[in-house]
Amino acid sequence: MHKDVFTLRDVSFRFPEDDKEILNGVSFTIREGDRVTISGPSGCGKSTLLYLLNRLYPENCDGIVTGDIRLFGKKSEVYAPGEINHQVATVFQDPDSQFCMPTVEEELAFTLENLQVPRIEMESRIRDVLELTRLSALRHTVIQSLSGGMKQRVATACALVMKPEVLLLDEPLSHLDPLTAQQFITWLEGLHKEVGLTIVAVEHRLDLWGSFFDREISMDHSGRIIADGPFRRKTPIFYTRRASAVETEPALSVDAVSVKIKNETLLFPLSFQAKRGEVVVIAGPNGSGKSTLLKSLCGIYKRSSGTVEPERVGYVPQSPEFLFLEKTIEKELRYSGFASSSEVESLLHRLALEHLKDAHPFSVSHGQKRRVAIGAMLADNRKVILMDEPTSGQDASCLQELFELIHERVQEGISFLIVTHDMEFAAAAANSVILIKDGRMTGKFAASEIWQDAPLLASHQLLPPKGADQHAAAFA
Amino acid sequence: MRQLLHDMNPSVKFVAVTLAMLTLAFFFDPWTPALFWIGIILMQVFWSRINWKLWFVLMLPFTLGAFGYLWTALVFGANDGSEAILTFAGISVTEEQWQRALSLSFRVMAFSTLSLLFALTTDPVKFVMSLMQQLKLSPKLAYGVMVSYQFLPVLKDEFFQIQQAQRLRGVPVEESWWRRLLNLRHLLLPMLAGAVRKAERAAFAMEARGFTGKAPTEFYRPIMLTKTDFLLATFFLCVLVASCTGGILLTD
Repeated sequence: MHKDVFTLRDVSFRFPEDDKEILNGVSFTIREGDRVTISGPSGCGKSTLLYLLNRLYPENCDGIVTGDIRLFGKKSEVYAPGEINHQVATVFQDPDSQFCMPTVEEELAFTLENLQVPRIEMESRIRDVLELTRLSALRHTVIQSLSGGMKQRVATACALVMKPEVLLLDEPLSHLDPLTAQQFITWLEGLHKEVGLTIVAVEHRLDLWGSFFDREISMDHSGRIIADGPFRRKTPIFYTRRASAVETEPALSVDAVSVKIKNETLLFPLSFQAKRGEVVVIAGPNGSGKSTLLKSLCGIYKRSSGTVEPERVGYVPQSPEFLFLEKTIEKELRYSGFASSSEVESLLHRLALEHLKDAHPFSVSHGQKRRVAIGAMLADNRKVILMDEPTSGQDASCLQELFELIHERVQEGISFLIVTHDMEFAAAAANSVILIKDGRMTGKFAASEIWQDAPLLASHQLLPPKGADQHAAAFA
Repeated sequence: MRQLLHDMNPSVKFVAVTLAMLTLAFFFDPWTPALFWIGIILMQVFWSRINWKLWFVLMLPFTLGAFGYLWTALVFGANDGSEAILTFAGISVTEEQWQRALSLSFRVMAFSTLSLLFALTTDPVKFVMSLMQQLKLSPKLAYGVMVSYQFLPVLKDEFFQIQQAQRLRGVPVEESWWRRLLNLRHLLLPMLAGAVRKAERAAFAMEARGFTGKAPTEFYRPIMLTKTDFLLATFFLCVLVASCTGGILLTD
């Protein structure tokens, strides 16, 4: 008989400043060896639930908990601060803000020092966990120099060095591109076979996990459990099929653009054209020059050679708030003074921002921020919009929203250049794909052809979109 | 031998350097700071492996500053009414003025060299860890400093990205520095919003790894206090005392 790890009975939770409960009468039991995922839309309280299990809540937020939470059979309140973290380890979502020491070894040692492990034992535990996680070569590497995927592996190693009984994963893949995410899951699966932990994960990209989990707890917007049963493999997000809006009139013409900074060529001369209403996806390995291309097109980077027609193109960075300068959304759209009052009103209406026009641009959701950023670019009369990694870290409904936002704009004759790693999204949205590798453009391909060419995609570190054959059929 | 200053316990080094600075502040003759300055340069020559090219570059502004002090103290120094020892271009300099001016500029040289001795031979991570282990700095503060040290390059990156994005919106590149300073507020809001989020995440991650703010009792790499540290500190103080005595003797 497996012993109970977590038992929750009728647990509700709310933040002191809110009057609405985040969690609502949640009950479940997780037993030793379970591999559970908690799923649900953004803001349904899944992360909150996870933080109740590792005791980050309620202390850190003065949250109000009712009901009974038992961790390893004991009431959760009897644990001293930090005590439960010896048995329950957590890996968080953001690879950039999980570390406090410079090198991998020092970070592992920090964890062991907190656990008051005797010094003579530390060396062997660090060596063992590095061997287990196959990270021995990175022992003295500076963490900030690693890629996102490697940082998440280091974070997992830091969790495992505690020899925990339970591993909590808080959307560990959300900042990774699909190929890196898939490699991370394969690595974690191998690890799980060797160690055999109880795993509880919060995740919204479940299609990537294959059959890793054996149980799924689903929650809804009001923080209630709506289903609790065996895990079934997930299919990727389904986007409605998009009719092409490409017109014959050219919208963007790039001729022999190259970028050279301090004698290093970041981008070799490349040329291409895009038509009105065309959606072009730019894809390629990390560091291949995709972002550099966008920045050189909109004039953030100085071009060493070449011309771009038109000169003014719009740009939406990965964090749209980087663009914001005003105190309300309406003023934000009016900032440059290009658009007349009626044009701004029509933009607010078309972007579904009317009810938010007096809100502070920093206070709205991520999807809405992106609407504001696009609105600001359109108000400046920029007909071509460049988007840098808009899909990174987004859940299913955000991706849907982004897809529709783009689809609506192309109907108005706007063209998009989008850098993304998400090939399912690319397959649904793109009319054409530009592949870039080592600062050189491999070519501009029609979307209908490229998804079939697995070797070409693989040579650019890309996975063919799941269900590529259906898309091809749609285009045929 | 060339490793001595680098291996010295950072806390001991810190205390010695601070003590020397405080002591020097009470001496107004030119000889004391001059002797001490030569003393610490010799220590660096024999006991450290610092990059001297970097040292010269870093010392350049301080040297200019020291010369500036010398000049202003000579030209604008209070006239004590005694006989001038030197007159040129209508400026007469008395013995007293000359001594003061030299003292000031040597003090600038000694202080800057001393600071560089500390900065160039001390690993910041070891320094913070040593402050925590030897001088009982609160671990919350110590690891807080460590986290912000990790965030610095990220923040710098973000700063430039925001600046570029806002230029695209039509924020003009200001010519005058005070307008540029005023425009910083637009950059600070997005940066602070991001920093608060990052800080909270980092705090959660640390706590989830069992960090409670209590001082650990076991260290993987304890920063040791050795006999060499005390010998070096003693030598340091000897140089200090010697230059002070030397200064007093030579002035009389």
